[in-house]
Amino acid sequence: MRGHRAGRPLVPAYLSTEGVARPSRNSLERLSVLTSTAGPDPGELPPAQHALRGALEGGSLTVVEAAALLRLPVSAVRVLSAALIDQGLVTARPPVPSAGQPDHDLLKRVADGLRALKL
Amino acid sequence: MIEIPELAFGCLAAGTAGAFALGGGLWRSRREQDRLRRETAGLRHQAEQSLRAGVEEAERVRQAFTAELEHLVTRRMPAEATRTAHPHVPVPGPAGTAGTATEPVLEALRTAILQERKRVDAAARAGMRGATREIQASLYRLQDLLHGLQERYDDPELAQVLYTLDHENEQSLRRAQVAAVVCGAWVGLAREESHLVDAVTGGQARLAGYRRVRLHNHLLPGTALVSHAVEPVAIIAAELIDNALRHSSPETSVVVSLEHVDNGVTVTVDDAGVGMSPDERAAAQRMVAGTDPIMFSDLGDPPRMGLAAVGQLTRQFDLSVDLSSRSPYGGVRAVLLVHGHLLSHVDPELRPAAASTSPSTRTGEVPRPRLPDDEADREPASRPAPGTAPVAGHEAATDGTPESAAGHPAPAHDRPQSGAGDLPRRRRRQVQPDRAALIRPSAAEAAAPARSPEECAAALGALQSATAAAREEAARTEGTDPR
Repeated sequence: MRGHRAGRPLVPAYLSTEGVARPSRNSLERLSVLTSTAGPDPGELPPAQHALRGALEGGSLTVVEAAALLRLPVSAVRVLSAALIDQGLVTARPPVPSAGQPDHDLLKRVADGLRALKL
Repeated sequence: MIEIPELAFGCLAAGTAGAFALGGGLWRSRREQDRLRRETAGLRHQAEQSLRAGVEEAERVRQAFTAELEHLVTRRMPAEATRTAHPHVPVPGPAGTAGTATEPVLEALRTAILQERKRVDAAARAGMRGATREIQASLYRLQDLLHGLQERYDDPELAQVLYTLDHENEQSLRRAQVAAVVCGAWVGLAREESHLVDAVTGGQARLAGYRRVRLHNHLLPGTALVSHAVEPVAIIAAELIDNALRHSSPETSVVVSLEHVDNGVTVTVDDAGVGMSPDERAAAQRMVAGTDPIMFSDLGDPPRMGLAAVGQLTRQFDLSVDLSSRSPYGGVRAVLLVHGHLLSHVDPELRPAAASTSPSTRTGEVPRPRLPDDEADREPASRPAPGTAPVAGHEAATDGTPESAAGHPAPAHDRPQSGAGDLPRRRRRQVQPDRAALIRPSAAEAAAPARSPEECAAALGALQSATAAAREEAARTEGTDPR
């Protein structure tokens, strides 16, 4: 699987935010959508913020998606994205309301179908 | 007929002659006797004199021997006993000429003390090893719990507590692990092949002052360690960085740089502290070289285990650590050299390094070497001059880094202004736009070819037999239980 790691991670999550778990803003939810703003990379970002910005390059991801990609807990991604938003490097918009989301059952059936297709 | 007077005369004459002869003999024998008596007396006198001298001589020798023995018991043997622990203590020589015979006594004493010391030390280490192993295992379980909680709860306040606990746990884990390693235990954790920068950053995270560490990663993306070297390198990096943090002022930072060298990779730890005196430096160098066996009782009270653990690991894993040079920042420069045979390559696209690790400054270099040997051979030529490396690398990194750092496939639109060096990345990225929407699952399947059941079975079988073989080996060499 992509990025699959057996065993425990070598680098603990607190290192990504230097031990900070309280984001500088409270507006971010699990499904808030993060989008990278255009513009040159400032270059001197802490590694994890850099990585998050890299993950958002050219697209948008929700907070949980970014967390899954970076293999960090959601709390850490919140802190990272809040820091990036403060610097104007990322914008966030509130989650898509649940009414606009596809039916959960349908998604489940599609997933089951996909699994059945797989060898 | 003979007449009587004649006979009497004859007899008398014969008697007189006989008396004369007899008297002469008697006189002569008396003189002889006197002479003999005088000689005897002289001899007796001589004998008495020499006997007295002999007794005096014997008494003198006895006294000398007693003094020598006393000297041996009260001075030399204690000194010899102290010397086994403190080699600088001088042992006084024999008091007199008679003392040469006592050398074998000292020799035997020395051997006996050393053997006993080794035995006691081994017993202490075994006890400590057992205890720390249990502690280490329980701390790993605690770590699992904490990671589970971190994944599950994202409330900032709770997360803050969890982070703090996790960090505390990492520090305890490090101490337990170092103690176990000093006591001759295995590092206690099997890891899979990992990025070298992950190992070093993981080591950094185990320290209280990890925020003061600046890591410059000049390695090619994907430079990894073979699985059995991952944890040792993490431990050594942690100990070297810890030393640097401890011996420099809290306002300064500790600079760690990872670079390719001719036959491997170096991890250089520089601090801006006060440095070490030549004596300390020599002692530290002896300790980390790992050539002498480590005596638990030599480590002081409280035991200073860090460098001893480094020494133990360098010996076991064929790594080398050098503490002999001064840092240009004023403090100590510690250099860990990881030889080529401990390096491997991990595809940074499929298995990126952790998000918190410093991105490589070298993303511009094109054909990624698949073999560590290749890599090592190619390196020196393409490497920038040491002084300019960080700066130049950083500029290069600013547009290229993301996917090496996050490992996340950066979507298509932003890969413009790249030179020829970016071609391979461009090719890989073409798969991605459709992936950007779906998040995680598809990529792996796309990348990993489907395996037949037989292949799976073969791979798992190989893994199992290798594990069994390694356990057997460990059980044999360590002589304890195979864990």
